[in-house]
Amino acid sequence: MLQETPILTKNIRSPGYDGSLEAYQKAGGHKALEKALKSMTPETVIEAVKESGLRGRGGAGFPTGMKWGFMPKNTGRPSYLVCNADEAEPGTFKDHFLINRDPHLFLEGLIIGSYAIGCHHAYVYIRGRSQAPAARLQTAIDNLYKAKLLGKAILGTGFDLDITIHRGAGAYICGEETALLESLEGKRGQPRVKPPFPATHGFNACPTSVNNVESLANVPIILNMGPDAFKKLGSTNNSGTRLVGISGHIKNPGIYEVEMGANLKSIIYDLGGGMRDGKQIKVVIPGGTSSNPLKPEEIDIAYDFDAVAKAGSMLGTCSLIVLDEDTDIVDLAYRTIVFFNHESCGQCTPCREGTFWLKNLVRDFHDNLGDQGKIDRIRRVAATMFGTSLCALGDAAAGPMKAFVEKYPEEFRKHFI
Amino acid sequence: MPTFYLDDEPIEFEEGETIIKAALRHGKDVPRYCYHPALTVVAQCRMCLVDVTDMGNGRPAPKLFTSCSTPAMPGMKVSLQTDKVKEGQNIISELTLVNHPLDCPICDQSGECDLQDYAFQYGTGHSEMTHEKRTYGWRDVGTYIMLERNRCIHCSRCERYSKEVEGAHDFGVFLRSHETTFDTFEDHRITHKFQGNLVDLCPVGAITEREFRFKKRAWKLTRTPSVCASCATGCNITVDHESNRVERLKPRENQAVNRWWMCDDGRIGYRQLNDREHRALEPQARVKGELIPANWETIQLAVITRLEEISARGDQVVGLADTTATNEELFLFKKMLVDCFGAKTYSPAHPQQAAPTGHFLNDLISPDKTPNSAGAKALGLGMDLKNDGVRKALEKSPKVVFVLGNPWSENSQLLALAAKADFVCHIATFSSPWVQITDVVLPGATFAEKAGTYTNKHGRVQRIFPAVNPPEDCRDQTRILLDLMRGLGISTEFNTPVQVLNGLGSQEAAFKGLTWDTVGTSGQPLAGIKA
Repeated sequence: MLQETPILTKNIRSPGYDGSLEAYQKAGGHKALEKALKSMTPETVIEAVKESGLRGRGGAGFPTGMKWGFMPKNTGRPSYLVCNADEAEPGTFKDHFLINRDPHLFLEGLIIGSYAIGCHHAYVYIRGRSQAPAARLQTAIDNLYKAKLLGKAILGTGFDLDITIHRGAGAYICGEETALLESLEGKRGQPRVKPPFPATHGFNACPTSVNNVESLANVPIILNMGPDAFKKLGSTNNSGTRLVGISGHIKNPGIYEVEMGANLKSIIYDLGGGMRDGKQIKVVIPGGTSSNPLKPEEIDIAYDFDAVAKAGSMLGTCSLIVLDEDTDIVDLAYRTIVFFNHESCGQCTPCREGTFWLKNLVRDFHDNLGDQGKIDRIRRVAATMFGTSLCALGDAAAGPMKAFVEKYPEEFRKHFI
Repeated sequence: MPTFYLDDEPIEFEEGETIIKAALRHGKDVPRYCYHPALTVVAQCRMCLVDVTDMGNGRPAPKLFTSCSTPAMPGMKVSLQTDKVKEGQNIISELTLVNHPLDCPICDQSGECDLQDYAFQYGTGHSEMTHEKRTYGWRDVGTYIMLERNRCIHCSRCERYSKEVEGAHDFGVFLRSHETTFDTFEDHRITHKFQGNLVDLCPVGAITEREFRFKKRAWKLTRTPSVCASCATGCNITVDHESNRVERLKPRENQAVNRWWMCDDGRIGYRQLNDREHRALEPQARVKGELIPANWETIQLAVITRLEEISARGDQVVGLADTTATNEELFLFKKMLVDCFGAKTYSPAHPQQAAPTGHFLNDLISPDKTPNSAGAKALGLGMDLKNDGVRKALEKSPKVVFVLGNPWSENSQLLALAAKADFVCHIATFSSPWVQITDVVLPGATFAEKAGTYTNKHGRVQRIFPAVNPPEDCRDQTRILLDLMRGLGISTEFNTPVQVLNGLGSQEAAFKGLTWDTVGTSGQPLAGIKA
């Protein structure tokens, strides 16, 4: 029977914890911050994060320590740490959960991260619609300023840091790091051409690191327990725990913290409690809508970056969407492609035109106007969009469509003329 | 210089240069819509895909790269020929056409449309898109341009031009996804003088010229290189013409002068080239106070006879030339007056170029609206801004006045003085108040009807070529002047403007070392002027 491993959620799961500064410090908070600022150099902090094997929790799984290590030093320009709290991926609700319940854990990580890369002004990019988390975060930041844990000379050391919350206007694409930076600069939120990468030319063309909320929340934990102990959590190359947000036709939807590499099926049945009304699983979307769907027979795998990738999907943001036998796959595919079509920034040809075409094609099935030619066309258009678009949104839209028609052709056949 | 390989052919590149830039510099064709050397790289159209089979480190690239955003690396192996890249081009072509109306038969861009060319060259030739296409409403966006958004392929060149080159921020990106549209703000209509460049930049027919709308099929036009004669800047252009009619003027790239651009005033200059109403169309002589048509032989003979009759010399003869004439014509005119009469030639001086504003396009429009003031100055014609010299010369009551073009035609005082002369001989292209007082009108050619060179305000000598024939009874001024000189008993080895320019160097210090060939397609500065 799979159990939760409360590391990030240790405070949250303890009774009576309200996430205030007092409660956080009473529970042993800010020890890592003190350790980092007083007894470690920025290089050793980066080294520790590298050592821990922490991979980014935003979806791509890029090692956080390595990302910080890429930042050029002594450029004569300021460095920036930008926290991506946009959490736009449908099915994902872990970051705002962390911010709502335990904002200081994440903020401690943000301060340590800023120290590590030499940033003196950090930004938190959060979507405008998320009013409660933004307000909660602002209160927490205000309290940190009052407690002299932000501002000038934090903890009596020479390190200064300001944190500004930036409320985005709610475009999905602004979760892509370069689009986020464009939006943060006050421009139209659309991805930039890479190279140059944000590590050298990011916010205001200065060295910038964009990190996810959960990645940063892991940083104080790494410093507290030591990189080696952290590395022991989880599976090979996938150290630590993940906040898994389970949604769909499941008995107990919610956020569960498990070690990376836990069995996917066990997560669904042991933690999620299985399907409602004893129904069968029809489709599992393992990492938000941009990940390829898995069939019930494919879910007996380890839930980490490598194993899910091997199964032909993507761990992404660890947002499990589990749907039961009554689900109409065409309906699901249509809802998904409508979302991606709506959220395409319209900048590059494959995504702008491809999502439009795919939406129309899937809509034909939705309207019971399908035929075999259209199935082949969906596959072809999706396959061709893959790898030619400017950012990952084109791939994210094309991948699931191709997977849906390939894995569930009979569902599409039901909607033939 | 480091080298990479494009389909096994070595291509040298400069540090940090992108693949497409180096490849285009070496004359390779890479299909592209959004890339333009004048604008920032956005890698949006995805048409310039290349297959990088070796990134310079022995490993192939994980996917197709856009050559506009990928810096070349030493030893890199790049292909435009592999199946992978062909498939990529194929797909992008097809996707670009998904929402394109394919209204080529009624589109002005047809025939010079990148989308058309690349769809033929790289596309599949058929489409499986059967759904209703996206459509936009029509909007009136500018005084010189028409915007047809349904044809737009979202390359964003217009937006980047208005932001980065023109600086007026006329165009913006609105909405998103397949509804994305490049448009002006709702209450904004573009009125500045650099709209035509948007037409040239637009790779499809989304932005077209009002002037050229529904006039001609682009593939029927012949393009003759020339230089814009609407002001002293001398933007390099092509004269696009068909059936002896000039249909439009388009900028021609010259990094030393106008880069890729020209102003709308220059473009509208084509109207004058087709103007017959205000044109001097036939040789005329004044008989009993009336100008009556005559044929060339008769009139030339009459002019020579009259001049011999008067047999004026020195101060009794005055030459007036305007600065729309080419270097060669001015030189011959001056030579004729000196050699035949020992007389002096005057040219009107024009307001000098104000200090550069730093805005490249604004600096293209010169306050001097004639193309060759600098040439007249270099040839040592008497230039005076206040017209003192010419007034004094005319106040001496000369017996003969030669007029080339329409100098001082607005100055009634000078015209009245000139009218007192016994004989006024006028070599004219367009009619002007001079017609009231001239005794003989010899009709000349416009800059689109003759060869020659102009010297622009920076002292750069640039060639013009005959694009269309002059009207039946009009003649190249060079020929008119040479015939007159021969008639007056001066032998000359010259026959054509090209020969005149080639001979100029030995007689005029400013033109030393300049020949028709050394001036070349992009021009050469006068001797002693830095390029």
